[in-house]
Amino acid sequence: MISFFQQYPVYWSDWIARLLLGARITAELSLMGFALAVVLGALLVCAMRSPSVILKRLATFFIQSMRAVPLLALLLALYFALPSLGLTLSGYWAGAIGLGLQGAAYVAEILRGGLDSLHRGQREAAIAIGLTPLKAFTTVILPQAIRGMLPPLLNAYVSILKDSSLCALIATDELMLAARAIASETFLPMHVFLLVGLFYFVIAFPLSMLSRVLEKHFSRGRKTVRG
Amino acid sequence: MANFEVFLGLLPLLLKGALTALEIALCTLLLASAGGVVLAVLLTFSRSRVLHGVIGCFIEWMRNVPALAHLFLIYFGLSYLGINLPAWLAAIVGLSLVGSAVLADIFRSGLQSLHVGQHEAGLAVGLSRMQILHCILLPQALRVTLPAFANYVTQLVKDTSIASAIAVPEIMFLARNLVTSTFQTSLIYLAVMCIYAAMILPIGVGFIRLERHFGSAR
Repeated sequence: MISFFQQYPVYWSDWIARLLLGARITAELSLMGFALAVVLGALLVCAMRSPSVILKRLATFFIQSMRAVPLLALLLALYFALPSLGLTLSGYWAGAIGLGLQGAAYVAEILRGGLDSLHRGQREAAIAIGLTPLKAFTTVILPQAIRGMLPPLLNAYVSILKDSSLCALIATDELMLAARAIASETFLPMHVFLLVGLFYFVIAFPLSMLSRVLEKHFSRGRKTVRG
Repeated sequence: MANFEVFLGLLPLLLKGALTALEIALCTLLLASAGGVVLAVLLTFSRSRVLHGVIGCFIEWMRNVPALAHLFLIYFGLSYLGINLPAWLAAIVGLSLVGSAVLADIFRSGLQSLHVGQHEAGLAVGLSRMQILHCILLPQALRVTLPAFANYVTQLVKDTSIASAIAVPEIMFLARNLVTSTFQTSLIYLAVMCIYAAMILPIGVGFIRLERHFGSAR
């Protein structure tokens, strides 16, 4: 047991430098994927709420197909198959786009759920006191809806963060690929993958906790309002 | 069109890979469900702080670390310690560990959503604790958690693709090999996506039916 941990000080400075570099790329990738997911998700919600039947169908089709396909298949297709159609993406960008596309389907459901959770009287009341539809949305609907959306959005980010590890399989220099390289150089897979697991855990766990705390906090607020 | 004929020749192999993926998903589902129920029951009924702490740590570790890291740990890490699991077994063990953590959370919230009276009424009519759990609490809890469970199952079928990273010969792994040998990149990946959709969409529909069935029974 002790001899197991004795390996860490030997390699510490080399490993930490490389893993931190990978962690930076992982952070960038996951944040970009998440940003793309939120923007696309919002657009999908707009499309689903628009009067156009075609837009609605398209948005639903997109969401359904994204939920039916594994991220890994999507990433491999973006990275390996798109070049034959004349569009070459680096592993980094294929990763960010893949994470964003798949994340968008989940984020769209979260946003829609958040908006649907409000009583329609809120909007009607806002319109009745003379707000424009846009003003009603930004000052009345959104501030209320966002309380319900925040915890699941945090969870969505955590899942994008974890999923970004799959980008290692399309040769993106992120945390997992750095770990694999180190593992195959040093033949210490147990040490390296435990450490890299800890890296992910240190980022993901506080966010998961925050999501849970926020959820409790917001639902407590709702109860007191109901009286 | 010659391309297409080549591709048709590859299809049986891909379908065989899909079957392997489903087998892995099924084994994982059974193990993860069993693990999830046990953990959820322990979390709900045990008073031991140590046990709560240990299970809590297990769940958080499994849920906040990518599945790929777990698979690498089990496949490469354990072989470093002298335990050589075949790749398919490593995939099943890894996915089952993650799954039991996810399902433990789901089942626990299902159990805790039930009224205390259910438990007390069971005691009052003279059932043993196991009987109460088995005949009264679990069936109701499972019904409540059906939508979340459905989500987990579809996610699981998709997650079997991660097993390709440790060379389990499932559909994704076979597809990657076929791509390097035939260069039919877009056709093969398109086919793979369609096959996954064909596996996953019926599961979703099945669960919606099941939910309706139970809903009307209530």
